[in-house]
Amino acid sequence: MKPLFKNIGVLPAMAGLVVIVLLFLLPRFVESTYALHIMILIFISIVMGSSWNLLGGYTGQYSVGHCAYFGMGAYTTMMLMQFRQVPPWLGIWVGMAVALLVALIIGSICFRLRGPYFVLASIAVAEIFRVSALNLKDLTNGAEGILATDIPPLKIGGTIITDFSSKVPFYYTGLVFVLLVILVTWLLQNSKLGYYFQAIREDQDAAHSLGISLTIYKNVALSISAVLTSLAGSLYAVYVGFIDPSTVLALDLSVQIVLICIIGGIGTIFGPVIGALVLVPLSEALRSNVIGESLINSGVVSADSAFGGFLTENLSHAHVLIYGVLVVVVILFMPDGVLGFAKKLAFGKRKEAA
Amino acid sequence: MPILEIKHISKFFGGLSANSDVSFEIGHGMIMGLIGPNGAGKTTLFNCITGYYPPSRGDVVFDGRSMHGLQPDKVCKLGMARTWQKVRPLAGMSVVDNVMVGALCRTNSLKKARDMAMEQIMVVGLGHRSGFLAGGLPIGERKKLEVARVLATQPKLLLLDEVMGGLNPAESEELIQLILAIKNLGITQMVIEHDMKAIMRISDRIVVLNSGEKLAEGTPREIVGNPYVVAAYLGSE
Repeated sequence: MKPLFKNIGVLPAMAGLVVIVLLFLLPRFVESTYALHIMILIFISIVMGSSWNLLGGYTGQYSVGHCAYFGMGAYTTMMLMQFRQVPPWLGIWVGMAVALLVALIIGSICFRLRGPYFVLASIAVAEIFRVSALNLKDLTNGAEGILATDIPPLKIGGTIITDFSSKVPFYYTGLVFVLLVILVTWLLQNSKLGYYFQAIREDQDAAHSLGISLTIYKNVALSISAVLTSLAGSLYAVYVGFIDPSTVLALDLSVQIVLICIIGGIGTIFGPVIGALVLVPLSEALRSNVIGESLINSGVVSADSAFGGFLTENLSHAHVLIYGVLVVVVILFMPDGVLGFAKKLAFGKRKEAA
Repeated sequence: MPILEIKHISKFFGGLSANSDVSFEIGHGMIMGLIGPNGAGKTTLFNCITGYYPPSRGDVVFDGRSMHGLQPDKVCKLGMARTWQKVRPLAGMSVVDNVMVGALCRTNSLKKARDMAMEQIMVVGLGHRSGFLAGGLPIGERKKLEVARVLATQPKLLLLDEVMGGLNPAESEELIQLILAIKNLGITQMVIEHDMKAIMRISDRIVVLNSGEKLAEGTPREIVGNPYVVAAYLGSE
């Protein structure tokens, strides 16, 4: 095990350990279900961002159809639970298997294409799944979606571990998934597979000439990515308790997944973590119009003035617009993501030094 | 038995023939020069040999084995490696990581790959640059990196596509010494080069391509005295 850990300094390792312990203790101190809700959403975002990052960030294959794998996890787990009474902690495995199968099929078709053509193909294939889920009504309930009526309690040897009545079990599941994807990313980065993925990202033809089979390694990257993305989908489905094609199989979701990585920093272990930490609270704050309300409550703007009216009436409906503008600003001024920007600030302009 | 037999290779792009009926052999341990005016089909021939293009006709036999239908990664695994006319560093990775990618062709252990990579980096003289980002290197060092990276795949046959292109005389001389050193390691090489002085100095034999066809083959001395070659380069009266 020694060579695995030599790339980490003692201090960051200790800091990481402290953060993990604090996160595990958090539900003991935080009563607010809303806070836990936000944390769970962040966890789900980190899992889907990190999974995409393995394919997009490390291997350089920009899939904008990752909702397909998210949806496979969500639908498989949900359908098994609702229609076949299979508990979700077993359904999740089936979801992963389905996502893997789908990934191999999609990969064998789409990886014949490169660059922007691959991006377009990935979108097209994901749309096929959305339209199928919409129209295969007998299988998926179509546009009605699937509502989770009750989740069976998790029992081990007769004793009930949890009945999923609070948010805490979802919190821990999310946290474990996050640690899992970060571990997988880290292991990959320090392995032959990771080197091969990055070589493909940097220059496909050069990689090919150095003995790297593009077909095999691109499909391996997609498979790992898809399986982990399906975990996020399964967790989302069981946690939210309702899925339909326009939420778990939508292009919006695929774009969201990519944005998490772009905002945080592509091709880095903690980029998606930062991206999720920025994007989820931001979209929640805008949705609930925190900014407008705080301006009014603090007395900076009168609620009766024209601007106050604008804040309460219009701005709350424009959260998607503001979100979009902020994302554009971040991309413009931090092309390497928040993490890259922070690194640049910390180490000065490294490129010039090199 | 020659290490590489090129048998009647033709490559057509639509109606254009980039190579037509090119045949020659390369013996073990020698340096074969491949020259010809621009557009003669030298790089196309490299691409056909290494699996980037399937040849339209003909076959390549490497080490007694037909390369027909093999992908470039398989060709590399079998021991035939190439560099690129337009260098292709893995720009976002460090010099040592670049060479490690080549070394990983022969090992699964990162530690072993790192040792093999450092060895090759020393051979080409980039030791002081091992931690640098490959994208930040000047052209001369990028060319050396390219050579170190293919050497790390432990080839029996090395195809060098204009490794001296764009270099100043001092840098060219370093690469000439490097090519001769690689020859001393027992690795067979085929070298595309525009620098006539250099190619005459290092080659044991030379093949001349013109308009996709083999115009002449022989020792450097024979090639210099060949009236067809002179006509192809300087134009006939």
